[in-house]
Amino acid sequence: MNAPDADAPLVERVKQGDVKAFEMLVVKYQRRIERLIGRMVRDVDLVPDIAQETFIRAYRALPQFRGESAFYTWLYRIAVNTAKKSLMELKRDPLVTEAARAGRDEDDDNPRVENEPSDAATPDAVLASKQIASAVNFAVEALSEDLRQAITLREIEGLSYEEIAELMNCPIGTVRSRIFRAREAIAARLRPLLDTREGDRW
Amino acid sequence: MAIDVFDDSAKERLSALADGELDFSRSTASCAAWAGNAQLRADWHAWHLIGDVLRSEDLASSPRHDRLFYAKVRARLQSEPVVLAPTVAVAKSASRPFDFDRRSRRWTAAGAVAAGVVLVVGTFALVRPADSPPAAQVARVDGSATTSDAAPAAEAAAQPVAIVADNKIIRDAQLERYLEAHKQFAGTSALGVPSAFLRSATVDSAAR
Repeated sequence: MNAPDADAPLVERVKQGDVKAFEMLVVKYQRRIERLIGRMVRDVDLVPDIAQETFIRAYRALPQFRGESAFYTWLYRIAVNTAKKSLMELKRDPLVTEAARAGRDEDDDNPRVENEPSDAATPDAVLASKQIASAVNFAVEALSEDLRQAITLREIEGLSYEEIAELMNCPIGTVRSRIFRAREAIAARLRPLLDTREGDRW
Repeated sequence: MAIDVFDDSAKERLSALADGELDFSRSTASCAAWAGNAQLRADWHAWHLIGDVLRSEDLASSPRHDRLFYAKVRARLQSEPVVLAPTVAVAKSASRPFDFDRRSRRWTAAGAVAAGVVLVVGTFALVRPADSPPAAQVARVDGSATTSDAAPAAEAAAQPVAIVADNKIIRDAQLERYLEAHKQFAGTSALGVPSAFLRSATVDSAAR
């Protein structure tokens, strides 16, 4: 999805002792990692724990990450290994759909689990997720053509600013500004859903 | 939280950082701003959530869940030793070396002990028949000391016997005291010259 080195600046910062940069990566990848683990682990209550363990392990192992693959690819492997290890430790049954799809050591007779957020445990969480999804879609529809195209090329097509500039026939600075303004516009629509009464703990 | 309102250019740079489109040098300020400002952290979360949802709606998650998740990870990260580039890593991560290092160090120590034992046996085999005064001196020290004395002893069996033996005796009291305090490293000396041993053993013990 992303260019292979999209996380390189943050990864480099972590290697130089910036823990906050790692937190930024956690915020970026937490949902994807939880979904991945949710496909391997039956018990939804375990998913956040295993995902947390994944990030801690990744943090510890980061000095050995040489950037030969994208950071997320590397993180993905750690998540799969952490989930497998947790399952063995807990002697629970895995639903190894991700591993099967990746054509690894598992046979692929397990039907793929329907895509569900791993925190599907509570109806409130499901509702909140659905509201967010529809708010994002609604907000994207409401964007001007330029902004919508820029954010779509970036987030869905995974193009670099340079590639988007070429496609949209505009300077890179304009691409950067359009993507930012698109994000701000969508985030403005989301804010009522994201702000919670428990105070800001971001 | 009560820092300052960030202007759009600062936020735009953070947005570029989210896409990996900001130079490393310029990322310093953006990361510092992120760390110090709750609003920027909320923006950062919102932007990535938006990206995830655009790619796949099933990635939409409840903000409350996300926030709890980060709080837990953050708390755990605080008890982790800081990851650093190798030059500074020794000082900062010494309390928790990686398994790889620990294992290789252990093997080095085990190998050193084995080599020491071999050398002691070899020394007795070589030194006993000769029975010259310096060699006898060495043998006597060997008898009272640990295997760590094997290396100088083995060297003593070769040509510059007296010099090595003298060196050894001069240094011995000190070495003995040192080894007393660091018994587990005793074997290491068998692999190197005594002075090198002193230095490396100091590092090893500091790292543990």
